[in-house]
Amino acid sequence: MSLMNEFTKGIVRENPLFRLVLGCCPSLAITTSVDNGLGMGVAFTGVLLASNIVISAMRNIIPDSVRIPAYVVIIAAFVTMTDLLMHAFTPELYKALGIFIPLIVVNCIILGRAEAFANKNTILPSILDALGMGLGFTLALVIVSSVREVLGGGTFFGIAVLPENVPAILMILPPGGFITLGCLLGFLNKIQKKTA
Amino acid sequence: MRDIIKLGAFLLVISGVAGLGVGYVFSLTNPLIEKQILQNKINSFKEVYPQADKVENETASYLRESHDPAVKEVNIAYRDGSPVGVIYAVETKGYSGPISILAGFDIAAAKITAIKVLNQSETPGLGAKAKDKFFQDRYRDKNAAAPLEVTKTAPVKEIQIQAITASTITSRAVTKGVNAAREHFAANFARSK
Repeated sequence: MSLMNEFTKGIVRENPLFRLVLGCCPSLAITTSVDNGLGMGVAFTGVLLASNIVISAMRNIIPDSVRIPAYVVIIAAFVTMTDLLMHAFTPELYKALGIFIPLIVVNCIILGRAEAFANKNTILPSILDALGMGLGFTLALVIVSSVREVLGGGTFFGIAVLPENVPAILMILPPGGFITLGCLLGFLNKIQKKTA
Repeated sequence: MRDIIKLGAFLLVISGVAGLGVGYVFSLTNPLIEKQILQNKINSFKEVYPQADKVENETASYLRESHDPAVKEVNIAYRDGSPVGVIYAVETKGYSGPISILAGFDIAAAKITAIKVLNQSETPGLGAKAKDKFFQDRYRDKNAAAPLEVTKTAPVKEIQIQAITASTITSRAVTKGVNAAREHFAANFARSK
């Protein structure tokens, strides 16, 4: 029951983007189309999973006072390896995700989960935590990028859904990212207040 | 004091292990990545100059004297052993970063065969359309003798390239790059008439 809880909490209750408001920078930058959002989410989940496993396995070895630099080194190493491996073995996927992989290293959710969860828990809950948080972040990115792609580009997953003249280019430019995220956060807060 | 040494040593070890890991993965993947980059380049060459059966990088012999810094590479396309076309790699500054372009020229016809935008970081939905076929096709078969210019309306003259809607800066940048290649081509390869 509580293990299941570690998995599900990241999806809605503690959604990293909508509830913890972590990882805003990459979220604003890459949510211009749905396939970008989805790709970023998948690559991010992979790195978070690897870093959570290693950090929870090493939680008793890493001295407390230098834990943050140790996490940063571990995360950066995983991101670089993921980047190289994807470039070599899945060139098609790499072409689509290429520019987002280095961005994962600055995603504070990974450091946040290492600090808030993986260094206090054993490996299995850390895996579930990573999967839940990854899924939650992916979902959040897909929602934000759906809004922006439909309103700004008139397409969804590259398929045209709106007539040529309707889309407001503003929505796929940086201001559109702030507007979308702000509106979604406000909307979700309103719903939560009602149910609470 | 002893703490500092201990902590320093720990960080040294962890960085060392991480470094070894990354180094190992790099040595494993680097040959594959290099091969892919080369293959991609060959494929792109085929796209901008399809009739070639061999392409040689002859940058060293053509870019010796002063030249437009936008021109990065001169590749000669051969068919049956004789040079038939030139493929330039050029780089210009776009709206939000460098744009690298391949431009192919046919020596006999003194025309642009095709161009291909290899890398760009322009605004998605606007300038990023420069990598779409519809825009690159606007350069097809343009004469290499006169400079190309960008227009915001439908082109009326042979030398005019219609800009991407709301992305004049990007369109100008691509055209500037193609013009740099065109100028070098006209000076070095165009047959005197």
